[in-house]
Amino acid sequence: MTASRRLPLLLVPATLFLFVVYVWPSLGLFRNAFNEVGPTGAMVEAWSLETWRATLHDSFTIELTLNSLWLSSMATLIALCMAYPVSLFLFRTDSRFRGLLAVVAIMPMLVSGVVRVFGWLAILGDRGLVNTTLQSLGLITAPLRLVFNWTGVTIGLAESIMPYMILALLAGFGRLDRTLEEAARSLGASPWRTFWRVTLPLSLPAIALAAGLGFVLSMSAYITPKLLGGGRVFVLATEIFEQATTNTNWPVASVLAIYTLLLLLALLALSNLLARRLQR
Amino acid sequence: MSYLELSGLQKRYGNSVAVDDVSLAVEQGESVALLGPSGCGKTTTLRMLAGLIEPNRGTMTLDGSEITQLPAHKRNMGYVFQSYALFPHLSVARNIAFGLEERGVGRAEIAKRVEEALALVRLAGMEQRRPKELSGGQQQRVALARALVIQPSVLLLDESLSNLDAKLRDAMRHEIRSIQRSLGITTLLVTHDQVEALTMCDRIAVMHRGRIAQIGSAEDIYERPATRFVAEFVGRANVLPIQRDAQGRAAVWGQAVPVEAAANADLFVRPQRMRIVPASEPTGDGMARLTGRVLRSVFVGDHVEVLVEGAGGQLTVEMPSGMAAPTEGGEVAVVWPRAESRVFAREAP
Amino acid sequence: MLTRRLVVQTGLATIAMPAVLRAQTLSGQITLMSYAGIFQDNYTKAVIEPFQQAHPGVKVNFVPGGSSAQMVGSVRAQKADPQTDVVIMDVTTSSIGNAEGLFEKLMPAEFPVLNELLPEARAAGGEFGPAVTFDHLVIVQDSSLKPQLAKLADLWRPDLKGGIALAAPPNIQGLALTAMTEKMEGGDYRKSIDAAMKKLKELAPGVTTFDPNPDGYSLILNGVAKVATGWNARAQLYSDQTGGKINALLPPEGSVFQINTINLTAGSKNRAAAAAFVAHALSQGAQKAFTERMFYAPTNGKAEIEAKALARTAASPENRARMIPVDWNEILKMRDQWNNRWRREVIAAGR
Repeated sequence: MTASRRLPLLLVPATLFLFVVYVWPSLGLFRNAFNEVGPTGAMVEAWSLETWRATLHDSFTIELTLNSLWLSSMATLIALCMAYPVSLFLFRTDSRFRGLLAVVAIMPMLVSGVVRVFGWLAILGDRGLVNTTLQSLGLITAPLRLVFNWTGVTIGLAESIMPYMILALLAGFGRLDRTLEEAARSLGASPWRTFWRVTLPLSLPAIALAAGLGFVLSMSAYITPKLLGGGRVFVLATEIFEQATTNTNWPVASVLAIYTLLLLLALLALSNLLARRLQR
Repeated sequence: MSYLELSGLQKRYGNSVAVDDVSLAVEQGESVALLGPSGCGKTTTLRMLAGLIEPNRGTMTLDGSEITQLPAHKRNMGYVFQSYALFPHLSVARNIAFGLEERGVGRAEIAKRVEEALALVRLAGMEQRRPKELSGGQQQRVALARALVIQPSVLLLDESLSNLDAKLRDAMRHEIRSIQRSLGITTLLVTHDQVEALTMCDRIAVMHRGRIAQIGSAEDIYERPATRFVAEFVGRANVLPIQRDAQGRAAVWGQAVPVEAAANADLFVRPQRMRIVPASEPTGDGMARLTGRVLRSVFVGDHVEVLVEGAGGQLTVEMPSGMAAPTEGGEVAVVWPRAESRVFAREAP
Repeated sequence: MLTRRLVVQTGLATIAMPAVLRAQTLSGQITLMSYAGIFQDNYTKAVIEPFQQAHPGVKVNFVPGGSSAQMVGSVRAQKADPQTDVVIMDVTTSSIGNAEGLFEKLMPAEFPVLNELLPEARAAGGEFGPAVTFDHLVIVQDSSLKPQLAKLADLWRPDLKGGIALAAPPNIQGLALTAMTEKMEGGDYRKSIDAAMKKLKELAPGVTTFDPNPDGYSLILNGVAKVATGWNARAQLYSDQTGGKINALLPPEGSVFQINTINLTAGSKNRAAAAAFVAHALSQGAQKAFTERMFYAPTNGKAEIEAKALARTAASPENRARMIPVDWNEILKMRDQWNNRWRREVIAAGR
């Protein structure tokens, strides 16, 4: 056997691993989607499309989908607005603290999601840092509702996806050649015009990559909407979890999970198409 | 006051000095080369002039007004980068139009001037191409057109030809030189290639260790190098250590030479200024002479290089290739006009 | 292949052994799955350790199973090869397990202790595992709150706005609160919850969270909320552990029982020991010990609980009188509908 023919052997460990931890359980999930649920929640083995019909016809499913899309878009947009300047700085700086700064920027990734969420509760709560500061400055009388609602979830989610987006941006900045900006400056473009006409257009592929990643992460995020949502934020991920672990309704949870997966795949395909266009 | 004046420019990066002290005056329409090996500070000087980096010290004036503090985009200098720096996301026409758009020139005017600029660099019809669809030479010319179309006060060429192959480079040299002449545009060119400097510029500033070692016409630099570095960097030279003979006269290979020299100095003579004559021929008036043995002679196309060995060293003589080469191993005399002798002190080790 | 043969032989020998002999020499391990945290700690001390002392050959492994729904999910997933022998969980989920054949029916012939249980404890599981603890929904409040809440209707007090933590449906606390509010408003949850919805909608803007995490007690102790819905037993224990920083109120308008059943997994690999443990858990001694330790009301009517502890459970006569008779199986059938109404009417009003 030649070396090149043995090359696919390198894929064996990952394939086996993925089969055991991903494909096999996914098949189980797929099977559950066709089971039925009795009136008190007992699962009845069947090959039925009833759960599909009921779930996809439920207006709440549409609401969940729109909620998930809206939340993910907002979180991605906010995270992008913060991650982009940071990434650009990290990409450009000659500072000897660059490595340290990069680690600081992606530090939130190293902290458990639950811990991070409780941090946000301490900052955004009625008696948290933001509200006490604003109150002591006399800017507000009653505390602002910043957690246990969509605001809190959007903020928390934006923060949690930011490190991933910074990494994606840094990876995608390959085409950003500083000389091009110098060329623009020498041709009479102010720093702002240079950014607008050269830096930004050339970083669009990186932005598309980062936004796609942030969006997918937001769509599948469960901990942040659950813990910061105060029971007011209903998205696909929280609903799947509730159905599976509170209602014991596995068929509905499975149908929603497959539905979400298909939705994400479609969105990924779309963003890939877009990124390829921008890359041109 | 000259059109463009640099005075006492200095640029430091931490403890290392990129440009130590550069002063230079350029007249309008003149073309000046900054020539030197890599790391001599020539590109840093050019970038300070373009406003891309800020000097630590010194001033720059253009047409009588100081520009030292002026941001890059207000300097109106046409910069052609070594890598061309064409905007990959814009067409050739949009690349060239970029500077005009930033100046708020009207659309019709832009179209007209872009067309003219493309014609100038012989790229008419390439308007809608993307930079990556062009050859290296074509990209080079787009970069040139983009820098020229804004009618810059000064054209700055930063190693602009070094990414081209030898033949194309030769053609581009002449093309740029003729454009520069016909437009009468003041040009500063940075290069490490002396042929480029000699052929494209009116004057050459040889840079060494962040300073200008010598500035002058091509002939000045070549024929009358001011420093040992210039003599060594520009053109070829035989470097012959000078000793004292028994009578205390300056001597090379134990043979007296007619130069005034202090201790620890070397004699510099250009190989093409030397001639080989039979050892029996007497020394002519105003000539210097050394005798030695022909080690070998090598035919290099337009001339023959003859390597002559004496007691304690070798030297090279360039003979026109039409002449009969001396036989190897034969005793010969090497002669040259005294005026061609240059003596430079040896640098402290 | 020596080991495999050995295992097969041992297995055959076990099956062949007379039942009497097995009962006398219980051995091996069993796995009990139930709630983590203070339930695990206290159940281990009050029930498991005495059992292990009585049966030195048996080791009981306590596996925390998350929520009741997660527990029934685990048992469901392990149906072909059960890894747990006994599960203590909420009756709403054990009834799912019963319907799916995950648990065994328990016969009084084998479990004479069933005859000692209160009728409602037997009824909770039908022929399957009976109730092992009773608990009830309480209003948990910060004890520094002035004045203290005295009834469910006080929850609508204006000064509590922004300090209320409720667990909305599908959490069973939310289901219980719905039934209680309907009763408070003079209705009956079996007929309609319209009155409850209307009333809870008024409460919604003052609710800080409809999904307290980790739970309402902690949110009060952290200062995030002033009042919360909670379960009596845990509230009583937290109150003791924090030197009385929180209080539990059994609303005079009525409360609802929460029932934990004890269930013997079908296909248990050490059925003899597991059955012995179930009998022990339901016995007078274990019931007394656990009630006095954690304030769950006993399900064994013969258990003699000391009066002080009993008063803090739903088992005392005056507390029993306040209980709203709730059939959880009925509520389960309405759960999705209630859930939807909460989302659309209550939570939507609380944004």
